Amino acid sequence: MNVIKSLTHNKVAMVGFAILSMFILIAVFGPYLYDGNPWRMVQRPFIPPFQNNQYILGTDTLGRDVLAGLIHGARISLLVGLVSTAIALLIGIPLGAYAGYYGGWVDEVLMRFTEIFQTVPSFALAIVLVAIFEPSVYSITGAIAIVSWPPVARLVRGEFLSLRSQEYVLAAKLNGQTNRNIIMREILPNSLSPIIVLASLMVASAILLESSLSFLGLGDPEIMSWGYMIGAAKTVLRQAWWLSFIPGAAIAVTVLSLNLLGEGLNEALNPKLSGNREN
Amino acid sequence: MSVQTLIYIAGRLVKGAMVLLVIAIFNFFLIRMAPGDPAQVMAGEAGATDEIFLQQLREQFGLDQPLYYQLWIYVSNLLQFDMGITYRQQMPVFDLIMDRMPATLLLTGAAFALSLLLGVLAGVVAAAKHRKFMDSVITVAALIFYATPLFWLAMMAALFFSVYLEWLPSFGMQTVGENLTGWEKIKDIGLHLILPATTLGLFFTAVYARMTRTSMIETSRLDFVKTAKAKGMKPSRVTTHHVLRNALLPVVTLAGLQAGQLIGGAVLTETVFAWPGIGRLMFEALFQRDYNLLLGVFFISSAMVVLFNLVTDVIYCVVDPRIELSK
Amino acid sequence: MKKLMMGAVIACLPFTANVYAQAQDGGTINVVVQPEPPSLMIGMYSNATTQQVGGNIFEGLMRYDKDLVPHPLLATSWENSADGKTWTFHLKEGVVWHDGKPFTSADVVFSIDKLLRETNARLRTSLEFVESITAPDDYTVVFQLKQPFGPFIRLFEVGTTPMLPKHIYEGTDYKLNPANHHPIGTGPFVFKEWQKGSFIHLAKNENYHVQGLPHIEELYWHVIPDAASRSVAFETGKIDVLPGGSVENFDVPRLSELDNVCVTTDGWEFFSPHAWLWLNNRQGPTADKRFRQAVMYAMDREFAKSVLWNDYGKIAKGPVGSKTTFFDESIPDYEYNPKKAKALLEDMGYDGSPVRLMAMPYGETWQRWTEVIKQNLEDVGIKTKIVSTDVAGWNQKIADWDYDISFTYLYQYGDPALGVSRTYLSSNIAKGSPWNNAEGYVNKQIDQWFNEAAVAFPDTKREELYSKIQHQIVEDVPVAWLMELEFPTIYNCKVQNLVDSAIGINDAFGTAWIKQ
Repeated sequence: MNVIKSLTHNKVAMVGFAILSMFILIAVFGPYLYDGNPWRMVQRPFIPPFQNNQYILGTDTLGRDVLAGLIHGARISLLVGLVSTAIALLIGIPLGAYAGYYGGWVDEVLMRFTEIFQTVPSFALAIVLVAIFEPSVYSITGAIAIVSWPPVARLVRGEFLSLRSQEYVLAAKLNGQTNRNIIMREILPNSLSPIIVLASLMVASAILLESSLSFLGLGDPEIMSWGYMIGAAKTVLRQAWWLSFIPGAAIAVTVLSLNLLGEGLNEALNPKLSGNREN
Repeated sequence: MSVQTLIYIAGRLVKGAMVLLVIAIFNFFLIRMAPGDPAQVMAGEAGATDEIFLQQLREQFGLDQPLYYQLWIYVSNLLQFDMGITYRQQMPVFDLIMDRMPATLLLTGAAFALSLLLGVLAGVVAAAKHRKFMDSVITVAALIFYATPLFWLAMMAALFFSVYLEWLPSFGMQTVGENLTGWEKIKDIGLHLILPATTLGLFFTAVYARMTRTSMIETSRLDFVKTAKAKGMKPSRVTTHHVLRNALLPVVTLAGLQAGQLIGGAVLTETVFAWPGIGRLMFEALFQRDYNLLLGVFFISSAMVVLFNLVTDVIYCVVDPRIELSK
Repeated sequence: MKKLMMGAVIACLPFTANVYAQAQDGGTINVVVQPEPPSLMIGMYSNATTQQVGGNIFEGLMRYDKDLVPHPLLATSWENSADGKTWTFHLKEGVVWHDGKPFTSADVVFSIDKLLRETNARLRTSLEFVESITAPDDYTVVFQLKQPFGPFIRLFEVGTTPMLPKHIYEGTDYKLNPANHHPIGTGPFVFKEWQKGSFIHLAKNENYHVQGLPHIEELYWHVIPDAASRSVAFETGKIDVLPGGSVENFDVPRLSELDNVCVTTDGWEFFSPHAWLWLNNRQGPTADKRFRQAVMYAMDREFAKSVLWNDYGKIAKGPVGSKTTFFDESIPDYEYNPKKAKALLEDMGYDGSPVRLMAMPYGETWQRWTEVIKQNLEDVGIKTKIVSTDVAGWNQKIADWDYDISFTYLYQYGDPALGVSRTYLSSNIAKGSPWNNAEGYVNKQIDQWFNEAAVAFPDTKREELYSKIQHQIVEDVPVAWLMELEFPTIYNCKVQNLVDSAIGINDAFGTAWIKQ
């Protein structure tokens, strides 16, 4: 297929894909392969990295294994990123599709509704939602989804607006196809590529958002996450900078790899928008 | 400005006001879903009190009234531009927010200006050197800043520039306990501003750089640019007069959206650098269950978003007169 | 480097021990106040920081030294009748309020009988034992008690019973009185200015009733919301005094090792903060005594003390703090013993049903402590789930008994009848407050002993009763005691004679001075 071919020829995207695959593997299998409860106090606190053979990345303020924390953190980051994006898509796509397809007052109502969510500062709203429903992996995922669906709705609406007057859509209408069918079978498949690109970037920003919430102390207390590790190390930044540095670097690399892949997807799926053609 | 424009602006303002009202009501119910109430928080800090004291506090705050009545009071006050009194400081909410607003505006304004300037510049350079070394450097740098958690970058910057190099102050907006005036004060605040504004700005710099670059490259392929080139215009003139002007449109849109969001997004930077702005105020109000204050912060920052979006659209029209406002 | 600092600490000791002889007048002290108090009106707000600042503006009838012995302040002397039921206080003459009006017995009667009875929950409980408060003349106040009440003599520090001006508050709505924003007391410092969110400025009271005091001219309390910034401000010399608990524990060792920095754990004797885990006695596995004992054995409290509290503080043996009167040294210890814990769990047939452990939202140390306890409990096979919430949610859940295990710490107030019995008396079980018998412990025998001990006379009788109580409660484990906390006050060594009472920083600055 053209897209995959174009993607595999894009070195940068492939680097992103490789890093991401590694993180996914770590997230899925890491906790089984590297035996270590990230919460257990295993050694004296504040062992710097590469000083202890058993705990390669050292120990944190309570003497917990940093490497174990990093491996378990990969899991929550990816899980929250993927699930919250999926929920945001489930809210945003139908809303945008109906608004764009029907237009008129349906559009007006749905877009006003979307506007409300776009007007409230999103990070502040996420903080409030998590605090109110008390920090847990569910409230965090939900809050991230709630603040990140409006761009999806906007994008899908735009696509539908421009596609609904295309000939094949009109033809389908004349054929007597139901609106539902037209939306699902005719228009949606044709607007998928920008959605996929947006989704890949949304996973990245959801990971950032999750880490920010955990950093502020609004993480799930049962789950070791990268943001939590940085937040917990904040007070000892001067004594043990590496405790903040390591998980922060992990976040940066993961998000970077997602962005690289997203860029690559963008170029592969929307060749007219990318800089592939020379003048 | 034409009458049509004025009517358009008025219409937008009315719509914006409606959205704000809905947001206020939505937030009113949202915050009441949180466990506990302000009386419990204040009593909790006091360490040892009883139900009588709690009841006294609730009466004082008007929290003993039925919820629909409280909502009615809140909304009718709001319509008269009165956002109520904070429970904890016993000050008008508006005054307290305005107390903290300059700090946030200074921080976000500096970050915004920096990111817009630096971002557009980097984007233009990258586009001009498309597929050359500088382009790659800028693109990679932008991607890295885009991917780095803001709070983490802030911490690392504080560690490096304040703790390790001891060049810059790492916390607060002013030196504590020195009542400076005049230039000394401005210098002091300026020094405190550098780290938070830069870290907050870097993320947006990356956003604008990427956007400008893409937009420039796309625009430069459009027909009118080709025509200008064919006519023998100097490449630099083409870039500034034709390409940049048009390429900036999406950047302006994005900037307008983000200018509003910067207020809320400053929570993290303000937390790491102990910057006394409204982001922190919001955070504190949330945990104090200071309903009026929290609603006030949300209201003001949402109002800013509405305002910025409007301003953006007007600017849009100035940058590109072909676009009609009444669209 | 460490040696040098030790020198600094030792060098400043002889001076702090020395009192007024060579005290120098003048100077400004900058103190951290965290969090910003809601008000300085100490009669209506008992928040820790209200007391810290307000305690230098207002005064009680007495001050207490580190052994909780009362010393004259607004009262010059007092006597108790032979039956223990009549207390007579003689007031100091020539004391004036900050607005120039004289302080008399009418102020005392008004403050206690009217204002504080209405606004101060803790005092209200104690006033149950008081039949009448009268003022035979301007400088005498007589308390007639219903029964002898042992802890009566410990009621008169400024935080519990501050003296408030009758001429300003009488007949007004206390909570809305404008004087709340401009407090008027009799204390060594007068209120100058409060820039909300920034600082509170107090200045020397030129007409203070103690000759030669205060030495300090100006007192600034700075609001710095971020813990790390507070450390930095102290390091750079902008702040002279960090009251206990105002920086994260992880920062304490680093700060106390700096040059010219003094550290003291004194000044908390009256409060002796006692930390424990609420164990819900009503339902779930925590309703079983064996489970609660297992929790005691499962906790590695030494680890928490050394890692989280930098070895400040003491492992709590039981319900009564070791600095509180009537503490019984002979009660048995619950040492760290996971084996015993497992045996107890097996004995009760613990089915592995999970318990919720609610964190206390009071900062990093408590968060980490929750994580440590969770590990300790899981190590002996107790399935534990951490519940995280904020201050409001935490208060509400404890008050509604919606928890299995949760942290808290409460003050002891120097006497078991004031600070201990409230947690264990079954008459103190009532929804809506997180400071009473929130665990739901019911033991009629204990109730009876506590009630007898509060009014027993003389003290030897009380001691006997409190010993029995401690032995029985330690056996029942209604709550799991953690530690007697110590919050070190960190200060620049140039500040002399800083802490010289049992409430420490709360009334410190009247006698402190700066070595120039």
